[in-house]
Amino acid sequence: MSRPGFVLTVDERTPPLLMHSGESFKLQDFPLGTRVIYPAESLPGVPDLDEAIETALLHPIDKDPLPTLLHAGMKLTIAFDDLSLPLPQMRKPDVRQRIIEHVLQHAADAGVDDVELIVATALHRRMTADEIKAVVGERVFRSFWPDQLYNFDAEDRENLAHLGKTEKDEDVEISKRAAESDLLVYVNVNLVAMDGGWKSTAIGLASYNSLRHHHNAHTMVNSKSFMDPHKSELHSSAWRMGRVLSEHVNVFQIESTLNNDAFPSQYGFLMKREWEWSLKDQAMFLAMKRGVDLMPAKTRRKTFQKMEAPYAVTGVNAGAVEPVHHKTLEKVHEQQLVEVNGQTDVLVMGLPYLCPYNVNSVMNPILAACLGLGYLFNMYRNKPLVREGGVLILDHPVPWEFSTLHHPSYVDFFDEVLAESTDPKVIGPKFEQQYATDPWYTHLYRTSNAYHGVHPFYMWYWCAHALDHLGQVIWVGGDRRSVARMGMRSASTFADALELARDTVGSSPTITYQHAPPHILSDVR
Amino acid sequence: MSIASDVRKMSRGWRWTRRPLPPQSAEPHHSFNEPKEFPTDWARSRPARAAREVLLRGGLNPLVRRETSMRVDGLDIFDDLDGPVILVANHTSHLDTALLLTTLPVQWQRKVTVGAAADYFFDAWWRAIGSALVFATFPIERHGQGLSDTPTKLVEQGWSIVMFPEGTRSPDGWTRRFKPGAAALARTHGIPVVPVAISGSFAAMPRGRNWPKPGRPPIHVRYGRPVRPLEGENTLALNGRVSAAISALIDEADTDWYTAARRAATETTPPSAGPDVAHWRRVWQSSAGPKTGTTRSKAWR
Repeated sequence: MSRPGFVLTVDERTPPLLMHSGESFKLQDFPLGTRVIYPAESLPGVPDLDEAIETALLHPIDKDPLPTLLHAGMKLTIAFDDLSLPLPQMRKPDVRQRIIEHVLQHAADAGVDDVELIVATALHRRMTADEIKAVVGERVFRSFWPDQLYNFDAEDRENLAHLGKTEKDEDVEISKRAAESDLLVYVNVNLVAMDGGWKSTAIGLASYNSLRHHHNAHTMVNSKSFMDPHKSELHSSAWRMGRVLSEHVNVFQIESTLNNDAFPSQYGFLMKREWEWSLKDQAMFLAMKRGVDLMPAKTRRKTFQKMEAPYAVTGVNAGAVEPVHHKTLEKVHEQQLVEVNGQTDVLVMGLPYLCPYNVNSVMNPILAACLGLGYLFNMYRNKPLVREGGVLILDHPVPWEFSTLHHPSYVDFFDEVLAESTDPKVIGPKFEQQYATDPWYTHLYRTSNAYHGVHPFYMWYWCAHALDHLGQVIWVGGDRRSVARMGMRSASTFADALELARDTVGSSPTITYQHAPPHILSDVR
Repeated sequence: MSIASDVRKMSRGWRWTRRPLPPQSAEPHHSFNEPKEFPTDWARSRPARAAREVLLRGGLNPLVRRETSMRVDGLDIFDDLDGPVILVANHTSHLDTALLLTTLPVQWQRKVTVGAAADYFFDAWWRAIGSALVFATFPIERHGQGLSDTPTKLVEQGWSIVMFPEGTRSPDGWTRRFKPGAAALARTHGIPVVPVAISGSFAAMPRGRNWPKPGRPPIHVRYGRPVRPLEGENTLALNGRVSAAISALIDEADTDWYTAARRAATETTPPSAGPDVAHWRRVWQSSAGPKTGTTRSKAWR
């Protein structure tokens, strides 16, 4: 029986608490009375995953069973989430592989010859062959790579289809192959409440022409939060686009949900509540911390990036997009929702080594900001954990370090754009088009493994709601130059950060520490 | 931060030397592990017994006799006993265990073990190891978290067991209600209970002190005739007889053997639970110490 998440109040008995800090972690003492939000323990996985997948395919929600939709001579496209999900990467076999194999078996039984598989990367970087093989499995890879299994290319004008406009004049432009298929099967991994639904097809397979309507500062500021689809302007836009899309394409959505088992058993202490650490856990922490701190940077990064999560699949639902997603959200909430009474003056978060955009790569300052201000800040329902005008304290080294392979446009964005302004509403109109249409960035996006030229803008837009809401953002242990470039403040220690926060929230603020990962979705009352 | 400071931080945060406690607000969400009995078999091994004999005879015995003025009576009862017994005593001080172990005949001392509160003596590893080595203790759960089979095993292996059936030290020096565990064990195995009355240890070292009062306070340890379970006798009846035997021994310490015996025969032994008066008066009376019957000559008049 897994225990639900809860809110701890720090007292004299509370040991120092684990805090992630990039490619390391630390034990942090908190002032008495600090609230600490703990995630729920992992829900049990489905007892038989193959059976769960088959049940979902044969008894879909508001759709005919998959075998009845498949016939010889049809055009079948299977699209699936890229490596930005789940985080950390899942222990093999990946749930996408398991689902795709079932879908393909039905397609083979029905005699479908024209099958293509598309990695729904949108403007993310192309996955390498090895990365794709890791997701779909050797059997699928061998059968379809490279001609019928490939990364989506949002800049391949000839292979995009404009399906029309929404009632709010938003362009709906997606992969031509997907748009012209008799059946589009989308295989998703729904790690957090933001994922899935129409976001899968209407965003994952969309071009810049389509994405620009919701990936902008205005939409993000009005997505409160994008982890709560009912209050997210981003999701409203995606849902409008989805309705246009559904007039042209028959979408069979398959969504899977995972539990909270984010770390392998040897790092079990990362998942345990500190006062329940055994002597072995304490020794493991000490050894791990010393070990990673002494490692050369490259080895350390490799060690962390190689970590595979033993996630268990808690549910598989298939059928029409919206009712399926409704079921999916119920399961995500069951795992991640923690009720919290009232907002706080100061919210504290330790940022881990990984976000959706630095898998097998470097977490540069923009991605660190996006993880803290974009993703973790938005892990709430009803209202933000921190009050308007409050302070967010983030712990991360924020190194001034970029991968020129994966994030070439980030380098220029950091040097040129943020040097001029950090206001998402200012930089969008002024610089976005230039980066989005830059031929060199486009070339790298299409032929190498680079994120699209406009991607750093999107990362900064993710932060827009937090930047609009907060009075101050303080980074503990961060590179001062990087932090200053982002228009934020640095502190050497947590105590110094609290001292700096006094300017904004007074001398005795309420403090809340969000003890994540694994994921917590705070239901703030 | 150095590794030493990390270790220091962890030892403080995780209460390495004390009983681990979850934060108060986490208690409703804390899954308490099934209490695991601290292993004490090693403390009854040959090397541990040898070490204990050295500690008791070479260290504790001289120390107790130096710090207190001790009188021991009734040891002749062991002449007629062989095999395991349950030694049951009233309990008012941490001195009591040391008094029993240091006054027992050597051959009994080698084969005796002491039931000690698991939540007090076994809550921290260093205290558990120390008490198991020096006093041959084994843990007893006082709060009903399941019965241990350790006492049964020990009796079957021929070990005598010291038990304080009141469960804890008396707060005022008078005896409290006896829990029936010791009587039940004796009845189950058909072994005798040796009642022991300890007078004066409350006055010498009550709760809150960790060393006897200066001035060698008088203490009287009196072993009584063994109480044997009778055919068809239930545990409560045996427990009552043991309790009465200890009351009589306490009375004997205050009067004399014959007076106490006559009072016991007429069931007029003063209750060892003490008078029903205000707490302070009970403490006042207990803290006066036993009547020694002898007046020590004073060096100064």
